Amino acid sequence: MIKKIFFVFILFLTVVKIAQATEMESDRYRIQMGNLNSESGTMTSTSNVSLSTTLGELAAGQFTKTGYVVKAGFQYINSIIPFTFTISNTNIRFNELQPSQPATGGANLTVSFGGAYKYTVSTIAETRFQTLDGAKYIPDTLCDAGHTCYKNSANIWTLAETEGFGYNMIGEDIASDFTNNTYFRPFPIRTLGDLPEVIMESNDVTLELVRPYTHQSTIVFKTNITPVQAAGNYQAIINFIATPGY
Amino acid sequence: MFKRLIKYLMLIFVFTFMLSTKVIAQQTSLSISPPLIEAIIKPGKSILIAYTIYNNGDPVILKPYIASFETTAEGKMIIKDAQSPIRFSLDNSDISLDQPFFLKTGERQQLLVRMRIPEGAAEGDYYHSLLVESQPPPMIEGMSSSRNKATIGANILMTVTETGNLNLDGKVILFDLIPRFKTNFFGKTLNIFDSSDKIPLVFVLKNNGKNMFSPQGEISLKGNFGEQAKYDIVPANILTNSQRLITATPSAELKIKRPVSLVISGFFLGYYQLSANIRLGVNTRLLSANTSFIAFPFKFVMALISIIIIAVLIIKKTKKEEE
Repeated sequence: MIKKIFFVFILFLTVVKIAQATEMESDRYRIQMGNLNSESGTMTSTSNVSLSTTLGELAAGQFTKTGYVVKAGFQYINSIIPFTFTISNTNIRFNELQPSQPATGGANLTVSFGGAYKYTVSTIAETRFQTLDGAKYIPDTLCDAGHTCYKNSANIWTLAETEGFGYNMIGEDIASDFTNNTYFRPFPIRTLGDLPEVIMESNDVTLELVRPYTHQSTIVFKTNITPVQAAGNYQAIINFIATPGY
Repeated sequence: MFKRLIKYLMLIFVFTFMLSTKVIAQQTSLSISPPLIEAIIKPGKSILIAYTIYNNGDPVILKPYIASFETTAEGKMIIKDAQSPIRFSLDNSDISLDQPFFLKTGERQQLLVRMRIPEGAAEGDYYHSLLVESQPPPMIEGMSSSRNKATIGANILMTVTETGNLNLDGKVILFDLIPRFKTNFFGKTLNIFDSSDKIPLVFVLKNNGKNMFSPQGEISLKGNFGEQAKYDIVPANILTNSQRLITATPSAELKIKRPVSLVISGFFLGYYQLSANIRLGVNTRLLSANTSFIAFPFKFVMALISIIIIAVLIIKKTKKEEE
């Protein structure tokens, strides 16, 4: 009997989840956006200000306000849908790196841009792929000998003796230089003064019925070291910047 | 003894099954709304825009900040540090720009962005992005790794004007077809298509003015038999000192993906004229561009000739055999 009670107790403890409600919003501000229209209460302005937004106003066109030319946004697409960006894996583990044994890891990048109709995803590494103190680093890949790659141009990286750190892209809206899964680029590096490089982009005015608003690609990180690479744990922080169209 | 063993095994199974946790990769998923704001504003005034940030992924620490951006001649965005006279701040009581805040899974946070244009700010366009950056996950001890962070943005296109008068000026850079054949005929370029071909048109417009505009108008197709079709231009913004591929709708799709303004499908025969008539804004001059093409059923004629030749050969051969 005691055993049965114990068994039920264990089950109860392990199965039941505690539900907690938490309000994260400020007490001072909670603005309901029932009508996402520029004429609704979502925006406040002083006088003599005209706004043209894509907040879902159904009537396209322009109108005038006393003394001012006022634009009411172009409404060729429904912009109530938020612009969404997802990285499926934020921690790419390479474990212990071994010479001439390339290590790889991947993450899916997903963009849902219903309200933006166009988007760009860029990437930049904050630092080199380096040890915590920054004293040692794995260089950016140059890809295989005779197939040099650049920060804005991918090339073949298949040889086991080619060292470096870089990435490949597969999927929708990727840069055309990523011909297949053997083509890699090195990351631009902010501390070296580089600018982010575009890795996903859609310029199409796409309607949902023609093509889904959600587009996805996969980024594959790859690193490889030579026998002379200093021992240590190497780290990089990669920033993915998703911006909607204008 | 056996029954007791079974009970213990079941208990171990229950413990293992119920208490084990799945190893799931940490995910960052952020949404922002609205993705685009356009404002025409007078110096000395301010506006307040309510943005909502949604966290659809794991709990995350976020930092909002403002960056300005400019466009290349081809219209690509380059984000820079904020450098403009416009003053941005948050009206939230508990969150400031450039200060991190925590957002749980499934939660949202409203950011009340105040944009103030100081008196005496120079007239013109100012382009900014509200960016919200996630903090990367903690470092894993004892292994090499790449930690990813996500930054999501919403664009703010602001025109500062004292009087409300805008300086709008555009130029057609390209209005041309991508034909199957192209030839010169007495100094005139002829675009030649097969009757069943899709007709791809490229239309690039440049902003030479001091303020952005979104062109409005249509592209029309006229045939030699009086047939006519009209395609509405999508009024996308063209920012100052940049050009943009103008798109029109409804458009067909090309098998080979390439940036085109319009793809016209159908059966074409003879001479066709394509023209664009657009305005950049109220009371602006009409901008026009024209091109033309000739369509002939080459494939059909070739197939017909082939069939006739084969038929004649077969008939001749049959007659010879009969003789």
